[in-house]
Amino acid sequence: MNLFGMFQISGSALRAERERAELAASNLANAETTRTVEGGPYRRQDIVFASRPSLPSGFAITLASFTDLHAQGVQVAGVVQDNAPPARRFDPGHPDADATGYVDFPNINPVEESVNLMEAARSYQFNVSAVQATKAMIQSAIGIAQS
Amino acid sequence: MGNTIQGLPNANLGLGASIQSTGAGDSSDFFETLRGAMSQVEQLHVDAQGKVAGMLNGTGDDVHSAMIAVEKADLAFEMMVQVRNKIVQAYQTVSQMQF
Repeated sequence: MNLFGMFQISGSALRAERERAELAASNLANAETTRTVEGGPYRRQDIVFASRPSLPSGFAITLASFTDLHAQGVQVAGVVQDNAPPARRFDPGHPDADATGYVDFPNINPVEESVNLMEAARSYQFNVSAVQATKAMIQSAIGIAQS
Repeated sequence: MGNTIQGLPNANLGLGASIQSTGAGDSSDFFETLRGAMSQVEQLHVDAQGKVAGMLNGTGDDVHSAMIAVEKADLAFEMMVQVRNKIVQAYQTVSQMQF
């Protein structure tokens, strides 16, 4: 792999972290949402990451298995729904209240989501540092030619 | 002594032949390589331009992928400039040779 491969790996991580932050933001934004397309309250979403070879095609992966290319990028394997039961709150005036006066609210803890968001932002920063380190490495390699 | 004098014209002949071959075939290996590298650098610039435009137009390109593409293009250009400097330096060294 050439040095630009490091850019690809860090880039995939940046993309993954952005999607993670998006989900955390979505969870925060919908902490009080009682109506969704599927019906019922909004359900908390979580992201699942999977590693993958930074070279995209099947042939390249096979080729990489014959050489010593072990570096892997990251990709979003999927988004899972948290099936925790909704938080029931007594609010008879709410339009979505049931016969007993209780409303189903999403079971979202804003503190937890904020921590997730902070984690995603920090990981993003780490990966940006990796990109900058790659850049510095390439620049110092180019500096070999300067006398 | 006699040997070295006899050896010199032979060496000279070989050098002349190799220069002739590069001069006659306009597409020598070195310049083909250089041209290929330059077009690759240009391709990286086109990529970077597309990514930045995509980001600004909001057609789904991420900020980081645009910045990485720009960095790639920048580094490739820097590399090309260094190679060019080396070539010019070599040319000047040869052209300033005193006979």
